Parts: sequence; C-alpha cells; structure tokens
Amino acid sequence: MVVSMAAPQTIAQKIIAAHCGRDHVEVGEYVTVTPDYTACQELFWPGHKRNLERIGVDRIPRPDKAVMVIDHSTSAAMGSHHHETHRTLRDWCARQGIENFFGPGNGLRHLVLTERGFARPGTLIFSDEGNIASIGALGALNLPISTEVIVAIIQDGNWIAVPPSARITLTGRLGFGVTARDVIQTILRDCSPDGRLLQCCVEFDGPGLATLSLDDWQTLLASLFHSGAYTGIMTPDDRVLDYVRARDAGRPWQAVRADPGAVYMTELTYDLSAIAPMVTVPPDAHGAVPVEQAAGLHIDQATIGFCSNGRLDDLREAARLLRGRKVAPHVTLYVTPGSRGVYVEAAKEGILGDLAEAGATILAPGCTTCWGYQGVLNANEVLISTQQFNYQGRNGDRTSRVFLAGPAVVAASAIAGQIVDPRPMLAEAAR
Amino acid sequence: MSVPTGRVWKFGDDVHGDDGIIEFAIIRDSFGKEFDEDALRAMCFRRLRPEFPAEVRPGDIVVGGRNFAHHNHVEVSVAMRASGIAVVVVESCDSGFLRRALNHGLPVMICPGIHGGVEDGQVISADPATGLVTLPDGGALRARPFSERMVQIWQAGGSIPLLEREFAARRATQAQGG
Repeated sequence: MVVSMAAPQTIAQKIIAAHCGRDHVEVGEYVTVTPDYTACQELFWPGHKRNLERIGVDRIPRPDKAVMVIDHSTSAAMGSHHHETHRTLRDWCARQGIENFFGPGNGLRHLVLTERGFARPGTLIFSDEGNIASIGALGALNLPISTEVIVAIIQDGNWIAVPPSARITLTGRLGFGVTARDVIQTILRDCSPDGRLLQCCVEFDGPGLATLSLDDWQTLLASLFHSGAYTGIMTPDDRVLDYVRARDAGRPWQAVRADPGAVYMTELTYDLSAIAPMVTVPPDAHGAVPVEQAAGLHIDQATIGFCSNGRLDDLREAARLLRGRKVAPHVTLYVTPGSRGVYVEAAKEGILGDLAEAGATILAPGCTTCWGYQGVLNANEVLISTQQFNYQGRNGDRTSRVFLAGPAVVAASAIAGQIVDPRPMLAEAAR
Repeated sequence: MSVPTGRVWKFGDDVHGDDGIIEFAIIRDSFGKEFDEDALRAMCFRRLRPEFPAEVRPGDIVVGGRNFAHHNHVEVSVAMRASGIAVVVVESCDSGFLRRALNHGLPVMICPGIHGGVEDGQVISADPATGLVTLPDGGALRARPFSERMVQIWQAGGSIPLLEREFAARRATQAQGG
C-alpha cells in the first residue's frame, strides 16, 4: 500500500488544486485555474464589451461557463444609461450562445448561483464581488476578481495566488432575537482592525453551525470581505447535500473537507449564545456596538434585503415583527427579496402581504437601494439597513448616515421610528 | 522596463479606497462608462492630501500603511494610475485591491516594514519583478516578487493591453499559416 505523505490541505487548497490539475498546492503559490463558472453582473458590461472589441474576441471559448446576471440596475431608470446595457448584454449573450443569462428581476448573482444549481460542493467560481463568498455555504469557492471577470471569460481561466486560510469555530446557539447578521457584525468588529483575516479564505466550523439555517450561513459569508478576507467556505452538511441534489440537474460535484492538521493562519472561536443584537455605526464596517448603544436615534429610512440579508429566513424575521403592526409614518421601509425564488416563496407564505400591509414597499429582486441606485438619501437623513456598506456617500448625500443591522433590528426600528432593540417587540409578537 | 524609482507620497493605516482615495458618491453614476480620467485625477487623494492632484508627478510612488485602500472599486486604482503613480508599496492590503490595480497596470507591492523605512517626499525604488525595495538610507526591504504572468500584465499596462497584444500575435501566426 502506498501511503500519501502529502501535507494536509485546507478546503481552499484542495478546490484550487483540483482546478489546476494538481493534487496539492502551497499557500502563496501562483497558479492558473480553470473555473467551473464565471459570474458577471451588468454594471461594468459596457467596459467589458469595449475590451472584447479591443482585443478582437469574436467567440468566447466556454459560453456554458458564463453566468451573466442583471442585478444592480433592475428596472433601469429614466436618466440612466443602464437600459442600453441591458440590451447589449442580452444581445451579446444570445450571439455567444450563453444560456445562463438572467435578466432584470431574477435576483442577485449570489442567489442565482445557489438556487439554480451552479454553486455545488467543490466548484470554483470566479466572480466580480467578494460578497459572493455566500456561495461557500454550499461548499463552492468564490474567487472574486472584480472587472477581471472578463479576462477569465476570455481565457477560460486566470491566475491566482493560493490564499492562506483561517478557521472560525462556532459553538452554542443564538439567543432569542439574535440573528446571523449580529454574529458577522461581531466578528468584523473583532477582526477587521488588526487585519488578522486579511487575504484569507475563512472556513467556518464547529457545532454551532448546525443550529443555524443555510440562509444564516450565507449571511455569515456574504459580509466577511469587510474584514479583508478574500473568501469563505463551509464544509457541506446533509442539509447542503440535499439542497444541492435537488438542483444539480445531473451536473458533477464533490464535497470537500479540510484535512486533519491543515494549517490556519488564524483560529478563532465564537459562542453564539454570547452574541447580542448589534448595530454597526457609520462610517466603518467594523463599527458594531450592542443595539442599546445606538437606541433612540431617529431614522428616516429602513431597508431590508440584499446579498447580506435578502433570503427567505430574513423576510420571515422581518414579517414576524411587522405583521399586524405599522411602519412609523415618518419612515420609508423598502424590502428587497434577494431573488425571484425568494419573492415567490415569500408571496406564497403571505409574507409580502404582511409587509405591504404594515407599510413596506417591496422592490424588484436585485441590489436596489444598497448602492444608492434607489432610495437616495438627502443631507442629514438616517438609514438603518441590512445592506453591506455604511461609509459616507454610499447612499446619497455625504452628511447622511447609514447604520447596519440584521432584519430584526431594522424591522423593529422601522416600526418604532427610531433604532430599537427588537427583543421586546418580538416577545410580544410571540405571545 | 526600468525599476520604478520615485518620490514618495506617504499615507497611514486603514486608508479607505472608495471614501478616501476617491469619492464613491461622484463615480457611482458613471459605472459602465469610459473612465473619466480627468475627474479621477482631480479627486485622487484630495480628501486626505488636498495638494495631491496638483503636485503629483509621473513616476511618483505611493507608500501606505496597514490595510491600505480597503473597500475599493476599480476606479481607485485607475485614479492612481491616471495620476502617474508608478507603484504602490504597502504594509498590507486585501487581495482584491492588488488584483484590481494590476489589472489596470498599477503594481501593488506588499512590503512589511516600508512604512517605517521612508518619509514623505523621499526617493525610493521598488521592483515588482524581484520584490526588492531600496530605501533612502541605502537599506533594502523584500516584498513578495510578482509571478511571471503578473510581470507581463504590469509591463503591458494591464490585462487588457496584454491580451490585445497576445491575440494580435496569435492572429498574425494564423495568417501566416503557422
């Protein structure tokens, strides 16, 4: 019998090795990988198109690997140039024979990848954004390369440096009224300032994971990049395997787990039962404080959705609070389902009706207000949101302020007209 | 290509890309359009060093501290490149910034020790191909060298110019029946 003496590898090393035709890769090594898919949004498409023409690319080598999604400028608005982008992207995909084109309203790349069976255990996906690490909940590795996605599409591959890995072990169970967003906000508070997750693939692990839903897993992963982490991933459990089997349509995949003894640059443990509802105070993504420290602040707008918290569990959480209550008259509440799939399920469960009755406006699946495309803020206005960013000028005037929180805090605050701890309202709703 | 040698603009830790080096609120409406390099040059670093746009010279070098340019859209890299910055040398940064910058022809070197090794306005040289950074006092620091492909991208002025050249060469070979 031949005993392998290869050094133990992390999940990221194993997936990368498998995509460059190797058994083993070293951390820091430069390799060229061939992806399973490359996911691309529409916003920078005009630039990609100019570059394709400049290089003289007539046909891309693997149209079956391109996943093209219009998610940032759903319902292109008067005065914008995005309607032209929608047309030229749609036409180009048709000419290239790209079947995986998803037009306005289908939702975010993140959810298109998971719900439609592209992200499967062991797959390697180049994408244009770090928050697409959410696909790591299905054991798929997101490698974000920004506008360089067009290079990966042209070459059916690209160079990468094998990232180091970090491991965060979760124990315990979340307390009443606490969400996965509160967990990642706490992790960002602790890990961003000293850069301990910088450039890492973060593996989440531990018994706490089984107490969280797959939607929660995606929430944890989607906001990791604020710490400077490159990507994130989890070891698939039985729920993941069932979820993927229902969507794989016969396409191959291979569950990957880290070898015992694999090396992690950083190892951390979080007890979920010790996490409290948090609010991230502007302008830093790591400025999380317990909600009571921000409580009482008057708000003008509240928004729920996005790649961070636009999944069914998030809308259920919001509906638990908003059902039978009203949004404060001075507050505008926008709710954006992350995908058409989430929209449909939320409609079937009666969630959308409950939210609308409470005074929420339901927007089309996509990025909507998260990058200030809709719901633009005036000077000095205050927004509380489940969105990703809180730096100055993100959502409009530079003097406006954006506070970040999970769906429970945002929904409760929309009702109260000011930032509040959601737990008393939730307790009342549960009675 | 000669080793970049230039005057240093020195910045500190945790410099924000989108709301520091540039201003997101201004660029947001232009996503997808050709980069407005004049506008990007005019806003580059002005929040942190108001004199930067007027005084930066081609070949100057940016030195940054820890977690430099975090939260950066690609316009952050284009703004520095359009300002004539030859190379960026930092204590640390995320992988995304390094990639975005190189994709647009701007090399970023991660070089622990750089921040304490040079003062604003001094001259250093920094070679992405070898990783060697030569300090004003004659001392040297070592950054991780670029891979061969990264050097090609840098020297071509970015990924797109490199692919343009490679595709043209391929077409020429095919035309010759090669």
